[in-house]
Amino acid sequence: MNKVQTWLHGRWAVPAAAGLLILASVATSRLWQPQPWGDLLMVAAAVVAGAPVVRKAWSALAVKVIGIDLLVSIAAIGAIMIGEYWEAAAVTFLFAIGHALEDGTLARTRSALAELVAVAPDVAIVLRDGEQVEVAAHEVGLGEAVLVKNGAKVPVDGLVIGGTGALDEASITGESIPVEKTTGDQVFAGTIATSGFLQVRTTGVGADTTLARIIHRVEEAQDAKARTQTFMDRFSSWYTPAIIVLAIVLGLSTGDIVLALTLLVIACPGALVISIPVSIVAGIGRGAKDGILVKGGEFLETSARIDAVALDKTGTLTEGRPQLTDVVVLDTDLGPDHPPVDEEEVLRYAARAEAGSEHPLARPILEAAAEKGLAVLGLPQHTEPVPGKGIVATLDGHRVAVGNLALLQAEQVEGSEDTGQAAQVVADLAARGRTPMVVACDGRAIGVVAVADTVRQDAPEMVRRLHRAGVKKVVMLTGDIEPVARAVAQQVGIDEVRAGLLPEGKLEAVDELRQQGYTVAMVGDGVNDAPALATADIGVAMGAAGSGVAIETADIALMMDNLLKLPEAVSLAKRTVANMRQNIVIALATVVVLMAGVLFGGVTMAVGMLAHETSVLVVIVNAMRLLRRKEDPAARATGARPSASSSAPSRERVPQRA
Amino acid sequence: MTTTTSTKTILRAEGFSCPSCVAKIEKQVGRLEGVESVRVHFASSRVEVQHDPLAVSADDLVAAVGKAGYPSKPAAF
Repeated sequence: MNKVQTWLHGRWAVPAAAGLLILASVATSRLWQPQPWGDLLMVAAAVVAGAPVVRKAWSALAVKVIGIDLLVSIAAIGAIMIGEYWEAAAVTFLFAIGHALEDGTLARTRSALAELVAVAPDVAIVLRDGEQVEVAAHEVGLGEAVLVKNGAKVPVDGLVIGGTGALDEASITGESIPVEKTTGDQVFAGTIATSGFLQVRTTGVGADTTLARIIHRVEEAQDAKARTQTFMDRFSSWYTPAIIVLAIVLGLSTGDIVLALTLLVIACPGALVISIPVSIVAGIGRGAKDGILVKGGEFLETSARIDAVALDKTGTLTEGRPQLTDVVVLDTDLGPDHPPVDEEEVLRYAARAEAGSEHPLARPILEAAAEKGLAVLGLPQHTEPVPGKGIVATLDGHRVAVGNLALLQAEQVEGSEDTGQAAQVVADLAARGRTPMVVACDGRAIGVVAVADTVRQDAPEMVRRLHRAGVKKVVMLTGDIEPVARAVAQQVGIDEVRAGLLPEGKLEAVDELRQQGYTVAMVGDGVNDAPALATADIGVAMGAAGSGVAIETADIALMMDNLLKLPEAVSLAKRTVANMRQNIVIALATVVVLMAGVLFGGVTMAVGMLAHETSVLVVIVNAMRLLRRKEDPAARATGARPSASSSAPSRERVPQRA
Repeated sequence: MTTTTSTKTILRAEGFSCPSCVAKIEKQVGRLEGVESVRVHFASSRVEVQHDPLAVSADDLVAAVGKAGYPSKPAAF
């Protein structure tokens, strides 16, 4: 019984009733001639299907909106008045069917967002006074301990404080392979526990969760109008009244009322009005499901024109975690009372000098020393960091310097001139993409240690795909020294390198590209990229899931720290804009063809409505193609870095001393 | 002096099929006592209402949107 009731109130009740009445009319008019019953049933069908249309037209008119409903209403009422009952019934019936279909398909184009809203958690199990209490998800207090059991949704944003488990983070990052979580890892509301048991300390609730930010972002993006859309809106606001005037003029001048009414029906701008919004809603929704957040229609249009991409090196093209790669011993005679220096000795000196340093380059040296089992006992008696050059420390009465050639010169170390052995080793290592640091003891260079940041596995593939997606120029902007930057660029396949840049330098480089006529996307993740990100046509934030600010401010936010999402975003933008254009062409072509058909005869009101409703559906179905994931088999094979995003929310940057 | 506490309620609606729905809903909801502003977003089928919760409840808002012809539900965010 309930099913029947739901159905009666559903979107198909009206067209079904009208359809039955039309069938009954056709049947009775075959049985009885002349056909008063047939005509009556036909009018009844028109009334059943047309009443909601007239009601909508009226309430729209009350707020001074002249819409499609009004055109159809006038046409149907006019048709009944001049005795064209079949036309009236057919027009309203087809319009009702069209509407029901539109409702359903439009809901599908919005489905990506609906799914996101649906994963919003309702309840949370909170540990209060040692007891498990179930509360509404938005009532959890900050800092409270929440339990996430196997199969449950994570109700809040937070940090794991106990237990281990795997989470499906597809709703946030678009990646459906579960990610292992353990103490200290970040978890997001709306993700689902696929195994294990986690205890989470709450850092964000309700509207202050990453999921809520994503939903907001997607909604705002879907509502933000593309430039094309604003133009079309203005166009249709005068188009509909113009058609009414045209119909009146045509009716009066030719005396052909049927012709005038037919014009009203076929000129309905339905497909035109929705052609752009459906593409944008579908495109942005598809992106959101894949962990690609685009700020809005206008940004989609700009992104589709991207033909130059500027990338930061450290942390974007490279892992952002430098490792010790080389320890070179120099032929140095430290005097008769000192044994010959070996690799361990060089590393130990470097590590001991760096022990008190907070510089990012100190960490790989200390780690390597610890790995080799070298005891780095005792802090240096005296440490003096030399900005941009290195560090000088006093160890057991020896003056030890670790840093670049400029430091050696400042320290007046022997062999620090260009021809010296240390300088040659340094040049050789730098050419291989490493950052060398000379270790000197009491005014003599004893060795060189070098660290390097590993190039990300998927970086070359990303550059290849960017080119394939139509990007002409991929430029690396880095604060690092030229030889290191060149070596990395060569491995990755970058077109152009700009090294040794300060934040302003990056901004200038982006500006220069824009002046050369490129539409520039800049990818970065650090504070020092901020000016360049703002100057670029499109600022892209990577691994944004951990940062609410990035989600809200970046023009394109890639939730996962996966380089291959970048070409994916560019090609999604291109596909969406192409889809938008196809829709406009379909809509306009339908109107023009029908208009010609009416004026030169042959197209009746019913045929016009059928064609018009079909064009609306074609436009929606075309937009729905965007919802389909364009599976790139190579993406799966080479690119997936499922767990990189959340467990490492902040990547270390490597400021260069050189 | 009276102080009014204004709150923002977000309704997610169904069945938005043409942008003229926007004006209709804005008018229906806008004339309710206690409603300060209404914004209807067509593409994401969302209604944002700034209102005095004592004068007009979320249920009243849902009813008004319903009167304009669209079923809707209040959303947490």
